[in-house]
Amino acid sequence: MSDRDGMVREVASERDSTSESVSAPSHVAIEATGLSHAFGDVVVLDDVTLSVEPGEIVALVGPNGSGKTTLLQFLSKVRAPDSGTVTIGAGDRTRVGYLPQRPEFREGFTVADTLRFYTQFVEEGVDIGTTLDRVGLSGAADRRVEALSGGMTRLLGLGRALVGDPDVVVLDEPASGLDPGMVERLFEIVAELADEGTAVVLSSHNLGPVERTADRVVILDGGRFVATGSPQELVESAGATDLQTAFGALVSTEEVEGR
Amino acid sequence: MSTAEDLTSAVDDLFTIATRELRTVVRTPAVVALAVVFALTVVGVAAAGSGARGGYVPLVLDLLPFVEALVPLLGFALCYRTVLADRRSGELDVLRTFGVERAAYIGGVFLGRSLALVAVVFGSLFVAAATVPVLSPPDPTFLALNAAADSPVAFVRFAVLTVVFALTTAAVALAVSAAARTARQAIALAVGLLVAFVVGVDAATVAGLAAGRFGIDAVPYLLAASPNGAFRSLVFGVAVETGQATTPLVALVGLGGWLAGALFVAVVTAWKPVE
Repeated sequence: MSDRDGMVREVASERDSTSESVSAPSHVAIEATGLSHAFGDVVVLDDVTLSVEPGEIVALVGPNGSGKTTLLQFLSKVRAPDSGTVTIGAGDRTRVGYLPQRPEFREGFTVADTLRFYTQFVEEGVDIGTTLDRVGLSGAADRRVEALSGGMTRLLGLGRALVGDPDVVVLDEPASGLDPGMVERLFEIVAELADEGTAVVLSSHNLGPVERTADRVVILDGGRFVATGSPQELVESAGATDLQTAFGALVSTEEVEGR
Repeated sequence: MSTAEDLTSAVDDLFTIATRELRTVVRTPAVVALAVVFALTVVGVAAAGSGARGGYVPLVLDLLPFVEALVPLLGFALCYRTVLADRRSGELDVLRTFGVERAAYIGGVFLGRSLALVAVVFGSLFVAAATVPVLSPPDPTFLALNAAADSPVAFVRFAVLTVVFALTTAAVALAVSAAARTARQAIALAVGLLVAFVVGVDAATVAGLAAGRFGIDAVPYLLAASPNGAFRSLVFGVAVETGQATTPLVALVGLGGWLAGALFVAVVTAWKPVE
């Protein structure tokens, strides 16, 4: 589902809400309920609930240290929260394509070698060339991973996340380090994935492309959802002209020190 | 997916990871250099020492102290940062999203690195053994010789025990790399264990004997508490056959215990499963 379809599945933008409860649709790609987590005395997530449907693009935006990466790790099931549950797809075996915030790869191997290694963990045959084409790395297939720029490394991370065509993709700041042209291309890829029915959850500070691409924007601040809705709804509720301005109005950055 | 399919998938994953580990080892110059140093040392000891001129058993006795010191060094160099490096790069997290299980991951890393280790250790010892027929003087014709006193079989036993010893040190290093959360922790643990294995347990045993804290009967059990002591006991009990009264079973249990225990620790500490 996307704005392109003219559909919006959640409307809520109460600044002081402590939890965004969503009634479970008939089938969901991600169902996260009551997620709470703390590192020592620092609470990074406080009773967060999120449901994502197939084909939906959900963008998590928030200040640095607001809990985005931690939440994405929970949704990817690479880390367990102190409390709360995460269900992916219809069963436990649904793979989540995951792009970490700072993807790194084993040195000494080429881009193609690296992708080929991961393709061996999925059952269906994977055409590495198609994946490289999709993320714009066809010309760098034989380049060693340590010779890639930061942006190209992130694109390889995206390619790795897409191996096996997972139903759910979680991308932690996928546009970081990319030039403006590549940012646009990246969000085009995200839109294509959603059109194919893939659920995409991403975090990003690139609010222009987020505003144009995301079906739903969730603003995370201090471990809580402070606003959620379509980009247009958030902009209107904040009385702003664009998402960047709305974000400034909805978030109080001084609250996130130390997180 | 059935249990049988799960098992097949886990075995496939294990071999996939093992292949990458092996390819990584041969592309790591520092590890290759250390392997060359190990091989040159072993062959050099055989060629330069008097052992090879006396036969296979004297060669074993010549090589034993070098092997005891160098094999743990090689095993640790190969494995002490493997899991830690994958954790710090985020690759452990990503592998988990592909459904790779902890046992398959650790098994694959161990298999891949061990293949390289075994090739270096066994290959070096094989070349060392090959110097015996070359360097030994011809048998005198005026003596009746007992073939049981010295034979290649003794050296083969030594080589097999050395390989088991090498696998054990690699497993311990793998456990270090899985349990450590920082590079500093990994180095501290690795150096501490190396020192304990190579000199610590022996020194503690001698000190305990000198102080009268335990009798001579306890020595085999104390030596079996470290991989080095257990390996040495096995070499003297099985390969060289010194006729010592104590069965090498204790040493075998000690070495096997370190191997199995270390792999268990590596699997359990690699990552915490998410339900």
